Amino acid sequence: MAAAAAVLRAPSSKTESYVDTKRRDDVRQANIIAASAIADAVRTSLGPKGMDKMISSANGEVIITNDGATILNKMEVIQPAAKMLVDLSRSQDAAAGDGTTTVVVLAGSLLKRSLSLLSAGVHPTAVSDALHRLSIRAVEVLHSMAIPLDLSNRDALVKSAATSLNSKVVSQYSSLLAPLAVDAVLSVVDPAQPDIVDLRDVKIVKKLGGTVDDTELVKGLVFDKKVSHSAGGPTRVENAKIAVVQFQISPPKTDIEQSIVVSDYTQMDRILREERNYILGMVKKIKATGCNVLLIQKSILRDAVTDLSLHYLAKAKILVVKDVERDEIEFITKTLNCLPIANIEHFREDKLGFANCVEEVSVGDGKIVKITGIKDMGRTTTVLVRGSNQLVLDEAERSLHDALCVVRCLVNKKFLIAGGGAPEIEMSRQLGAWAKELKGMESYSIKEFAEALEVIPYTLAENAGLNSIAIVTELRNRHAQGEINSGINVRKGQITNILEENVVQPLLVSTSAITLAAECVRMILKIDDVVIVR
Amino acid sequence: MGRNNDRDGARRWRLAADVETRRSDKDDLVAVAETIKNTRLLKDEATEEKGDRARMASFVGAMAIADLVKTTLGPKGMDKILQSTGRGHNVTVTNDGATILKSLHIDNPAAKVLVDISKVQDDEVGDGTTSVVVLAGELLREAEKLVNLKIHPMTIIAGYRMAAECARNALLQKAKDNKQDPDRFRSDLMKIAMTTLSSKILYQDKEHFAKLAVDAVLRLKGSTNLESIQIIKKAGGSLKDSFLDEGFILDKKIGIGQPKRIENAKILVANTAMDTDKVKIYGARVRVDSMAKVAEIEGAEKEKMREKVQKIINHGINCFVNRQLIYNFPEELFADAGVLAIEHADFDGIERLALVTGGDIASTFDNPESVKLGHCKLIEEIMIGEDKLIHFSGVEMGQACTIVLRGSSSHVLDEAERSLHDALCVLSQTVNDSRVLLGGGWPEMVMSKEVDELARKTPGKKSHAIEAFSHALQAIPTIIAENAGLDSAELISQLRAEHHKDTTNAGIDVISGGVGDMENLGISEAFKVKQAVLLSATEATEMILRVDQIITCAPRRREDRM
Repeated sequence: MAAAAAVLRAPSSKTESYVDTKRRDDVRQANIIAASAIADAVRTSLGPKGMDKMISSANGEVIITNDGATILNKMEVIQPAAKMLVDLSRSQDAAAGDGTTTVVVLAGSLLKRSLSLLSAGVHPTAVSDALHRLSIRAVEVLHSMAIPLDLSNRDALVKSAATSLNSKVVSQYSSLLAPLAVDAVLSVVDPAQPDIVDLRDVKIVKKLGGTVDDTELVKGLVFDKKVSHSAGGPTRVENAKIAVVQFQISPPKTDIEQSIVVSDYTQMDRILREERNYILGMVKKIKATGCNVLLIQKSILRDAVTDLSLHYLAKAKILVVKDVERDEIEFITKTLNCLPIANIEHFREDKLGFANCVEEVSVGDGKIVKITGIKDMGRTTTVLVRGSNQLVLDEAERSLHDALCVVRCLVNKKFLIAGGGAPEIEMSRQLGAWAKELKGMESYSIKEFAEALEVIPYTLAENAGLNSIAIVTELRNRHAQGEINSGINVRKGQITNILEENVVQPLLVSTSAITLAAECVRMILKIDDVVIVR
Repeated sequence: MGRNNDRDGARRWRLAADVETRRSDKDDLVAVAETIKNTRLLKDEATEEKGDRARMASFVGAMAIADLVKTTLGPKGMDKILQSTGRGHNVTVTNDGATILKSLHIDNPAAKVLVDISKVQDDEVGDGTTSVVVLAGELLREAEKLVNLKIHPMTIIAGYRMAAECARNALLQKAKDNKQDPDRFRSDLMKIAMTTLSSKILYQDKEHFAKLAVDAVLRLKGSTNLESIQIIKKAGGSLKDSFLDEGFILDKKIGIGQPKRIENAKILVANTAMDTDKVKIYGARVRVDSMAKVAEIEGAEKEKMREKVQKIINHGINCFVNRQLIYNFPEELFADAGVLAIEHADFDGIERLALVTGGDIASTFDNPESVKLGHCKLIEEIMIGEDKLIHFSGVEMGQACTIVLRGSSSHVLDEAERSLHDALCVLSQTVNDSRVLLGGGWPEMVMSKEVDELARKTPGKKSHAIEAFSHALQAIPTIIAENAGLDSAELISQLRAEHHKDTTNAGIDVISGGVGDMENLGISEAFKVKQAVLLSATEATEMILRVDQIITCAPRRREDRM
C-alpha cells in the first residue's frame, strides 16, 4: 500500500523543485493527537483528589483503579504511537513503581507543545534535541532540590510512602499501610548490599473479608490455603519441623506406561495391601526424622497426596499443606531456611526448617495457614492484605505495591524531594530562565517545554476542584521569591510549604518520570511514516 | 439419443465457425495480426510487459522504494513506524533501511532487487543500507531521463560502468590508512562509530555508545565474529545506563539450594533430557501384577536418573548448564553435590556459552575424558534493574563480552540494538580494512568531481551517462540537506565550489546548517562501506536497466480445502 502511494507521488518529485511533505506532517500530527488522547484519558486520576476509573474488561471483569499503569494496560490501544505511551507507563512502573500517571500526563503535555512548535516550522530533530537537553538539565534541577535521606530515619520513609498512598482508594488507611510498607522493605534489605531490594522477597497474600484495617505484616509465612482436614489431622503444631517436599506421597507411578494385571480375587487384596504398605513406609520414614509439618508441591503427573496417605499422615500427627506452587518453592525455602526434598530417600533431618508455631487461622469466611517464629528466618516478609470486597482488595494490593516501590526507590537512591507540584514548578521556572540564555530554535523550544511541565500542578489543582490559574500563578510567584518547597496543599486548597505537610516523594520517581517522558516524546517526534508490513 | 444430441451440437458449432470465417474474410490482415497477438504462450493469469512499458514499471517501482527510505538518511533522518498486520499488531520503530525494506510487502520485481541489495549490504558491511538503495534509485532516475532522450540502455550501462570505476579510483586515492598508529586508529574507529550512530536513536549518547562499540570490537582482535559480543536488553533505566561487561551474562536462574557463587568454575554445557528418561517407543508399557513391582520400576527409573547425574558430576564439574528442563529430583541431586545447575537455557544461550567458555555441548556422558569442559574464573548472580542474572567472568575466550542495553521501552531497546549492531559490523570490518574516508557527503562530492572530469574527456553518447552518474552521486548530500530542513540547492552549489579546489574537507554540517570541515568535525566513514554502496548500487542499476520484458508467472492456485 505504501509502495502504491509512493508511485502516485513519483511524478511530482520528478520536477525536483518542490518537496511535498504533507503526508509526513499528517502522520506526525496523527501520532501526536492519538498519544495526547491517551494522556488525557488518565489525566483526571492524578493527585490525592484524583478520580478513579472503572474498567470493565471483555470477559465481564470489573476493575476500579487509580493506578495509571493498570488503566493503560487494560485499555486495548491499537494506534502505534498511543501504544508507545502505554509502554512508557509500563517502563515507569518497572523503573520506579510509582508516578505512572505523572509520566503519561507529562508526555502528553510535551507532545502538545511539540505540535505547536512543529506548526511554527521548527524541524522535528531540532525539537527533539532541545527536549534532550531539557531533560538533562531538568534532572540537574531536581538533584539540586533533593534532600538527602538516612535509612534509619523511618519517619521520612513513612511520609513518602504515605504520599504515594494518598492518591489511592485506600488513602484513609495510609497511616496503617505506609509504616507497614516501610517495615516490609526494610526487613528484606541485606546489610551486605544496602542499595538493592528485591521486591520478590516481599510476598503479598490477599484474603477477602474484614477491612483494609486488618491488613498485617507477618513475620513468617502465610499460605492462602487450608490445612488438609480430610483425615482429622492436626491444625496447629508447636515447635514445628517443616519439610518442603517435591515428591508425591501416593501409590507409585512410573514414567513409562504401566498396567497392573489382576488375574484373581486374592491378588486384588494383595495389591491393596501393598499399596498401603508402600505409603505407610513413606510416612514412617518421614516421621522418623521428627518432621511434623509437610508442605507438598503441586504435581501434574499424579496426585500429590491421596486420601490414604493423608490418613496415615494424620495418624502420625503431621500437618499437611498441599498444592504449593513450584514458583513459590524458592521463596518458601529461603524463608524457612531449609532445602526442598525431591525424593523420599533424601529425607533427612538437616533439610528441615524449624518454626515455633504452624497454625490454621480462620479469617473471614476462609482459612489461612500461618507459620511464625521461624528459626534463622531468611530475609523475606509476607503481607496479608484484607478487604471487604474483591475490588477494594485488588486496589489495596496495587496501592501497597506502589508504596513498596516508593520505599524501594528510596533505598536505591537515598534522596527525597518535595511533592505537590513543587518540583515541576521549580523545573519550569529554572528552565524558563535558562531558555533565555540560549539562542535560536533551541531557546524557543525549551521555553515551550518548560511551560509544558506546569501541566502537573495545573492538573493537581484542577482535580482538587481549585481555581487552577490562581493557584498555579501564586505557586510560580512563591517559587520566584525563592521558596522552592512551596507546593499545592490539596487539603487546605492553598499554597503552603509542602515539606511541612509531609508530602514528599523519592527523587528517583521524579527523575525517571522526566527522562522517560522525554525519551518517549523524542521517539514519537522522529517518526514520519507508518508502514504496514507483514 | 446421446449421439443425436452430439451431432446437433457439432453442427451448431460448425455454423458458428462459418459465420466467423465469413466475417474475417473482409479484413484479412487485421485478423492475422490479431491471431498472432492473441496466441497464448503463457498460462492463464500470467502476464507479460514489454519494452518501454516494462522499463517504466521497473523504474517507477525502484524509485518508489528509494523514495520511501530516503527520509531516513543522514543524521537528521526520520524514523518509520512499521505496523505489522500479523497477530498482535506489533509496532516497530526504526531508522534502519534494511529493517524497513525487509518487512515490506513488495510486488514490483525491480523494487525487490533494491530490497535485496540492501539486505546484502546489511550482511556484508552492516551499514549504508539506506544509502545503497537511495543511490540506486537516483541512478535509475537519471537513467530514465536518458532513456527518454532515446539513448540506448546499453550505452547508459557502459557509461555508468566507466563512471563507477573512475569514482572508485577517486575514493581509493583519497582514503587514509592509520593502521600503524594505534592511537589514531582508535580515534578513527571512534569517529566512524559516532558517524554511524549519529543517524540513529543513540545519537544523543553517541560518545558513550561509540566507546562501548569500539571497546567491544577491539576485544575481538581482528576477528569479525560478532557472535562473541552478546547484547542483552533490559527495560528500565535510560540509554545512558547501558554498559559493557567483560564476560558472559545468562538471563536465567540458579537452581534452589545450590551455590550462588563459584570460583574457578568448570562448566559442562549440555543438551539432554533431565526430566525423565522416557522409552521413546510408541505403546511401550510394562505389565506387572503387584504394587511393589510398580514401586520397583519407579525406583529403577529414579536410579537411572541418579546414575546419569552421577555421570555428569563425574566429569569433575561444578557448574552444569542444560538446554532442557531439569526436574526437581536431579536438581536436588546437583544441589547435594554442590554443583550449580542451570536449566532451560535457550539454544542461543548455550551455543554462545559453549563458544566463550571453550567447551563442547555434550549430550552423552559416558566418556568424561573426551568431553571438553568450559572454564571461567567466577560465576555469580548479579542484579540488573529488577532481574537477577547469572554472570560468568574471566571466560576462556578473552574476546567475549556482553553489552547490556537499558532503555525506557522495548521499542527503544530494539532500535538501540539494531543501531549498535550496525556500528559493531562497520567497526569490525574497519579493523580489517582500515582505510577511512570523511563523511557528510564528502566522498560523494569527491567522486562526482572526478566523474564530471571523466565525462568531459569522454567522446560519444557515453559521456551523457557519465555526467548523469555524477548527478546521481550529488543527490546523496542533497537528500541529507533536505532531511535536515536545509536549503539543499544553495548548499550543494557551495559544496561544489569548495570541492573545485585541490584539497578540501568540505561536507555538509547539518548541525550548524552550512558547509563545514569534516576533518575538524570528526565525521568519518569506513572506505569499505562506501565502496560497497557504490559498487552494488551500480550493479543493481545495471541489472534493472537491462530488463526489457517482465513476465509475471501465474500464481500457484491454492486448493480449496473447505
